[in-house]
Amino acid sequence: MYQLTVAKYTRLTFEVIKSNILSAMEYRVSFLVQVFGMLINDSFLVLIWYFFFQTFPKIKGWTLEDTFLLFVINTINFALVMIFAGGARTIASTISKGQLDYFLGFPKNVLWHLSVSKTDISAIGDLLCGIAIYLIFVPVTLEKTLWIAILSVLSGFIMYSFIVLTQSLAFFVGDFENGAEQFFQSMLTFTLYPQSIFNGALKVIMLTVLPAFFIAAVPVSLVQNFSLPLFLLMVSVGLVIFTLAVTVFKYGLKKYESGNLINLNM
Amino acid sequence: MSDIPILYSPGLSGKWLKYIAIAKISYFSATAYVLNLLAGSLIILIRAWIYTQLYTVAYTSYSLEQVGGLTVVMVVWSLTLTQSFQTSARPYASVLIEEEVKSGTLAYSINRPYSYILFHYFQFMGRVVANLGTNLILGFIFTLILIGNISFTWQGVLFGTITLFFGYIIEFLFSMIIGLMAFWIEDVSAIRWIYSKGQLVFGGLLVPLSLLPEKVRNIAEWLPFSQMYYVPARLLVNFDYSLLHKFLITQAVWVVILGVATYWTYKKGQKYVSINGG
Repeated sequence: MYQLTVAKYTRLTFEVIKSNILSAMEYRVSFLVQVFGMLINDSFLVLIWYFFFQTFPKIKGWTLEDTFLLFVINTINFALVMIFAGGARTIASTISKGQLDYFLGFPKNVLWHLSVSKTDISAIGDLLCGIAIYLIFVPVTLEKTLWIAILSVLSGFIMYSFIVLTQSLAFFVGDFENGAEQFFQSMLTFTLYPQSIFNGALKVIMLTVLPAFFIAAVPVSLVQNFSLPLFLLMVSVGLVIFTLAVTVFKYGLKKYESGNLINLNM
Repeated sequence: MSDIPILYSPGLSGKWLKYIAIAKISYFSATAYVLNLLAGSLIILIRAWIYTQLYTVAYTSYSLEQVGGLTVVMVVWSLTLTQSFQTSARPYASVLIEEEVKSGTLAYSINRPYSYILFHYFQFMGRVVANLGTNLILGFIFTLILIGNISFTWQGVLFGTITLFFGYIIEFLFSMIIGLMAFWIEDVSAIRWIYSKGQLVFGGLLVPLSLLPEKVRNIAEWLPFSQMYYVPARLLVNFDYSLLHKFLITQAVWVVILGVATYWTYKKGQKYVSINGG
């Protein structure tokens, strides 16, 4: 029964995402501009680190090659979340505008429906960029490719759970759109830098409040030197944060009050 | 015709009063939600913390006292300042114009009895003042705790403030041009991403220009990205008269070029824009 439900939701997710992408492709120019715009955008990020490592070639053992691997995992996990669950980033605004009513009338899970309702088209550019960096700058092996795929999905799962958790705070504090976005951006900020520089209180924050450590440092470390205990720790963190996010969302949903907004979705 | 009474004729001061009122409304709406305002500063504090770790490790690894005339303390202060300046400018004017075009509210905002460009400018400055106060105070205290004090000179503060004022004009004009492009293509988010990454690479937001390879630095110093926030931050942390002249001239040139480009784009855009039904 459980397996049947999971299979049904997985199939439905792919159908909804396919329809999101196809409807965006109706506006061909806008679609291409977003995808290639993001590709150029990500290339600038690579460029700035290239400049940085020209001045400081090694930061506590961390090199430009490590940054390339970090970017591969981060662009792919971010892209997966934004393609398959882009709507999660709009939970706070949907709540504060009283627009959640639309999703309450459907027979499917509210959180799932809200998450898949939006696909960030530019994230396709992130995905392409991640793959391009991998093929151009990282020595490719089959084993590495498999681990990057697995760890990108797993870290994406943690990222998604964190988004749901912070966005759901809007159920309790009212307007938290900007606040939730800042939390997300703050977490992403950690994933951009050489991971070897973090220690002390910053590392504690990355392990707890903003779980960036499990989205950036751990996957890179696992691709370079696989360790089963670390991998299991990452899986456990994923399960804990996902359970927490779903619980907070469910509890918040019970408190939700409709804005009586008449909304026409076409 | 001469006997038609002139019912109302706002004087010069009257004309500007309405723009000041626009700036005030923008200021108060930006400060209405305190939690939101403070959350906006959170990212600056986190970045300041990361920069402290990153550059302390980088300087000590290579036993460096100075790079490009900047000590590690100056680098961290410079980055906190550029981040505070840049974050205060959000949301960009381009985001607001794009929303107006997409939602159709442009039909109202473009026809009101004010200059559309000046309306957005004063709205932008209202936001900047509201955000800048919080960002600078928190950024200042946090950086002081993290890396220690830096001696600001009165010349640095004076010319840093003046160049910041012009920096915000450059930021506004650039963002306005991107926003006005929505009159043709509606969705300008891709152009905005590239613009913000241009700021990141050449605007001294992550790596101060003094630390970039020489050839890159020489180019970056003439680009508008560096004239927005790097210039005031550089003058504040390490004032240098020889740089001041260069910076002021470069800023003036960009203000004129972008000012003309903004006006031209607006005039052209007015003819092309199609208003969506609301």
